[in-house]
Amino acid sequence: MSSRNLSAAQLSGLVKAGDIVIPGDAELPSFSRSGASAHVDRMFDYMHDSDRDGLKLLFSIFNVLPAFLLRGILKLSEKDKALPGPLGAAARMINVGVKGVVMTLYYSDTDQVGINQAIGWDAKCDELDLPEGVEEVAAKEAPQALAAAASSEAERATMLARAGAAALSRLSVKERSAYVASLRDIVLRRREQIIDRIQADTAKSRSDALMSEIYGVLEALHWLEKRAPKLLADRKQYTPLSMLGKSSWTWYEPLGTVLIISPWNYPFIQALIPIASALLAGNTVIYKPSEHTPLEGLIEELLAEAQVPPNWVRIVYGDGSTGAQCVAARPDKVFFTGSTRTGRKIAAQASELLVPVELELGGKDPMIVFADADVQRAAAGALWGALTNTGQSCTSVERLYVERPIYDAFKSELTRQAERIVQAVDSDGSADIGEMTTGFQVEIVARHLEDARAKGAAVLCGEQWDGKSKAIPPIVLDRVSDDMLLAVEESFGPLIPLMPFDGEEEVIARANDSEYGLTASVWSKDLERARRVARRLACGGVSINNVMLTEGNPALPFGGVKNSGFGRHKGEHGLHGFCNIKSVLIDKDSNKIEANWYPYTTEKYRLFSDLLTHLFGRRRSALIKFAATGMKLEKYSDKAGKRGREQ
Amino acid sequence: MSSTQDIYDAIIIGAGTSGSYVALGLVQGGMKCLMLEAGHDFDKNSYPQSELDANSQLFWGGGVELNSSADIGFLRPKVVGGGSVVNQALMDRFDDLAFDSWREASGVDYFTREYMEQWYDKAAEQISIQTVPEAYRNGNADVFRNGFEANGYCYAPLQRAQKDCGHAQGNSCIVCLGGCKRDSKQSTPITGLKRAREAGLELRADFEVEHIEARDGEVRVGGRGRDGSPSNYRARRLVLAAGAIGNSKLLLASGFQSKLPALGHNFHTHPQYMNLALYEEPVDAFKGPLQSYKSADHHFRHSGFKLENVFAPPVAIAMLIPGFGRLHQRYMKKMRHFACIEVAVRDSSPGRIRLKRNGDLLIEKTLNDEDKRRRDNGRDALRNIFYATGASEIIEGNVAIGLHLQGGCNMGLSGGHSVTGPDFKLHGYDNIYTADSSIFPNAPGLNPAFTIMALSIKAAADILAEEGR
Ligand SMILES: Cc1cc2nc3c(=O)[nH]c(=O)nc-3n(C[C@H](O)[C@H](O)[C@H](O)COP(=O)(O)OP(=O)(O)OC[C@H]3O[C@@H](n4cnc5c(N)ncnc54)[C@H](O)[C@@H]3O)c2cc1C
Repeated sequence: MSSRNLSAAQLSGLVKAGDIVIPGDAELPSFSRSGASAHVDRMFDYMHDSDRDGLKLLFSIFNVLPAFLLRGILKLSEKDKALPGPLGAAARMINVGVKGVVMTLYYSDTDQVGINQAIGWDAKCDELDLPEGVEEVAAKEAPQALAAAASSEAERATMLARAGAAALSRLSVKERSAYVASLRDIVLRRREQIIDRIQADTAKSRSDALMSEIYGVLEALHWLEKRAPKLLADRKQYTPLSMLGKSSWTWYEPLGTVLIISPWNYPFIQALIPIASALLAGNTVIYKPSEHTPLEGLIEELLAEAQVPPNWVRIVYGDGSTGAQCVAARPDKVFFTGSTRTGRKIAAQASELLVPVELELGGKDPMIVFADADVQRAAAGALWGALTNTGQSCTSVERLYVERPIYDAFKSELTRQAERIVQAVDSDGSADIGEMTTGFQVEIVARHLEDARAKGAAVLCGEQWDGKSKAIPPIVLDRVSDDMLLAVEESFGPLIPLMPFDGEEEVIARANDSEYGLTASVWSKDLERARRVARRLACGGVSINNVMLTEGNPALPFGGVKNSGFGRHKGEHGLHGFCNIKSVLIDKDSNKIEANWYPYTTEKYRLFSDLLTHLFGRRRSALIKFAATGMKLEKYSDKAGKRGREQ
Repeated sequence: MSSTQDIYDAIIIGAGTSGSYVALGLVQGGMKCLMLEAGHDFDKNSYPQSELDANSQLFWGGGVELNSSADIGFLRPKVVGGGSVVNQALMDRFDDLAFDSWREASGVDYFTREYMEQWYDKAAEQISIQTVPEAYRNGNADVFRNGFEANGYCYAPLQRAQKDCGHAQGNSCIVCLGGCKRDSKQSTPITGLKRAREAGLELRADFEVEHIEARDGEVRVGGRGRDGSPSNYRARRLVLAAGAIGNSKLLLASGFQSKLPALGHNFHTHPQYMNLALYEEPVDAFKGPLQSYKSADHHFRHSGFKLENVFAPPVAIAMLIPGFGRLHQRYMKKMRHFACIEVAVRDSSPGRIRLKRNGDLLIEKTLNDEDKRRRDNGRDALRNIFYATGASEIIEGNVAIGLHLQGGCNMGLSGGHSVTGPDFKLHGYDNIYTADSSIFPNAPGLNPAFTIMALSIKAAADILAEEGR
């Protein structure tokens, strides 16, 4: 064999490298056996001079290198990305050059030594049309679009989201959190536009939108994206002594496709946090926003910009009947945030289908201020807690209990501050509160106010409200009794009912005397007392010397008791709420027959019974005896298991 | 040294997509034209049969040329017909996004969809364009389609310059990457170039132009035939159609840089990353139509990447699969079980074409962070598609490929930042024109060939108008 371009030594260098790159196996000949190197001139004749010279030099060197070194060089050339700039480039050049020559000569199968057959390559393009008698290749049917058969938008969305789960569930949590990270970048970058959209749908003040919706989403996404990989990693669990040699695990797997229904008070936060949590856990999502604040198109746009595939989150717009259709499509879980009335309906519908639900419902949250609390700070906190989002939060302060000795001072401070509240749907962040979002909520507030007035409450500020306008000002009420509607039902507006109390026991009893139990706050210099009271409050979260703060921390779970719902959102528990927590117990493959397997015999009964005595008894020598009995039992069981009962 | 006495009305350098259609316009307008092409003149019966010979004989450098960091391999056609012989013949009309960014980058106001429509229509009259028939789609197209559907991404069937591919008889278009063996692909040697030759175009193949000079109102062109013998030619006008790299190389070698400081800059390639996925069942990605679908997802487009189902013949697949030895062989034996999708990046960071001291090409082209993000977003989408369709393993292709070589003589209004004017003349030269891929102001992110055709047809019309013909 000879070449116009390569010397004998260079040719042998090429063949040496060729046999490392393609050593051959049962089906494929080695590079040298393929005879491909005979065609080397058909390549080299056409190369740029510099490439040709470089390769000739390489092959000359290869010829004198021991095989292991040559292999090392080729291996190293594959690690180009780990090598710095010019070295990486050199490695790539060697790699592309050597592999290029060897692969081209070999896989062109110029001599037709069966390489094409072995790899299954038989592409052809015949010049002439089909000869007589040869069968045509069958044409395939026209492709059908996914979910073409769906009868409603809800069903279609569910089918599409189910299809999306195939890819999402295979991603690692880290890969999923990359999407959440870019979502966070986008929310941060586009926050002003987002706030415009939120204001247009809700009539919030601009600062309300920034400080709760935007800040809340960013904080939560940040936490989720950083913590989820750890929280959703496989966990080793305790394995009892009696199961020695085995290991126990929990795996946090996706449920599949979950339905998220969100309310109108925080349309942004209530969309993105549950959506991100569900996605991180590997679920695709059907999301139904409130028909009052749909933010139409916004969430899709942000998700798409974050490269989230459309079928991972399908958004369905519509009212309660659409929500019911979504539940009827049988998602793997329903995560509902909204009113207790609707929550009950959803739970009823889901219970028929045995679809698990999680409900985050209303509240009538108490704030308890003891006499040793700082009056000015507590009043400012009360004001914010009652008025943020114009009082339209499920955890708004709706009952304000103030200990008698400071009641009057607190009342005048609160009223003083309330009168200074600026109300507007502003564009520059200068307003404290915006307007009410929905007309029907205005009616409820009006009804509660009327009822309170009729039953003797005094309006300390806000009396100028006409009972109709969506711009309800802060309304502070005194002489409130426990039988008034605004002391019992959720008002969801800027009403602040002030009530005096005398002593811990009384205030705990009154605070707990509610059909709701979402969150609460306790204010006192005496932290011990504050904790004591907090422990006895029947609710899902308590802020001490602060207000509405538990839900501000994304690491803390959120949820209530009684009519405030069940299940926990956010935090580790919230993430796990979107998981199928799979229990896994791993034993080795062996030839052993386990002690608790058949056959059961009197002898085994006795041994097992002894074992229990030693394992759970309180004697000091128990452990040694347990080990001895255990071994006996194991041996016996193994033997009995293999030989059968008769022996 | 031979030198012909004739002065041509025009010399066209390069017999590719652009050269063929500029030449057609000029000879049809009655101009006496000579076309010089470095590559060989094949026909359907003589196109190289094996991948080895196709790589060697249809491309510069024997197959692949590398950038300076050796992480992008450029495939640069060298054959009568140029890219139209070796390409996949997918035909895209540019969208507003592409033209808007061209207008912004160049200041040339005719880059609009409305204005270009007429030139696209004229281009469409020259070739048969078909929607790739879905009825003969292969398993790879199904993976693409099903994966797009499962994730909710948008896709669309591809348009290809082809006629009578005979899929019913089991033909595989992948073979035609080495030149179409049944004249189905609408390469210029059987379309525009054929008509031009019939109308009197003189073609000299196997002739590499090495030097050009503009003097005394005429141009002189010197080069060598395959046997190394030099020739010189003269003409009143010169049309450069040697492609993005070819034009820059020739102009740099001929000393045009001093007058055209932007020469060789603004080089784009739509870096492509082919990614393979392994399936239990055979996919047969190389059977039937090679490519059927492209991404039509608004967000992909705006994120700066596109996806197409694609495959490659064995040598190229062997180069894509990382590693070597027995494991590599095992993968090769799974050839029929591979699906393949490419990510093509709409590259935002321009490269630069230069010459080394010895006259060799030096191509500087890297991906900046934004381009890497585009690539990675594309790869993520691809991973989702493969996962959704049950792939057992994904193999990221080893090398990036540059097929859409663009720029180097970018169009613009003035000489500082551009090389070619809206009238297709090099700035400061009244008789040197170019309308090929080198004039692209930036990367459009779409298949370029159809737009090259349209612009070349327009350039010919502009030259004829100037000639008063
Ligand atoms: C494998 C592959 C697939 C592709 N698929 C598609 C596709 O599906 N759709 C699409 O739109 N685009 C595709 N392209 C890109 C497209 O083919 C090119 O962008 C287009 O052909 C460029 O046209 P052009 O006229 O600028 O250059 P070319 O068509 O490349 O023509 C330039 C010609 O000039 C010759 N030349 C260069 N220098 C000299 C010299 N000094 N002397 C003489 N002759 C010279 C070259 O040999 C060449 O023949 C593909 C490209 C490749 C390589």
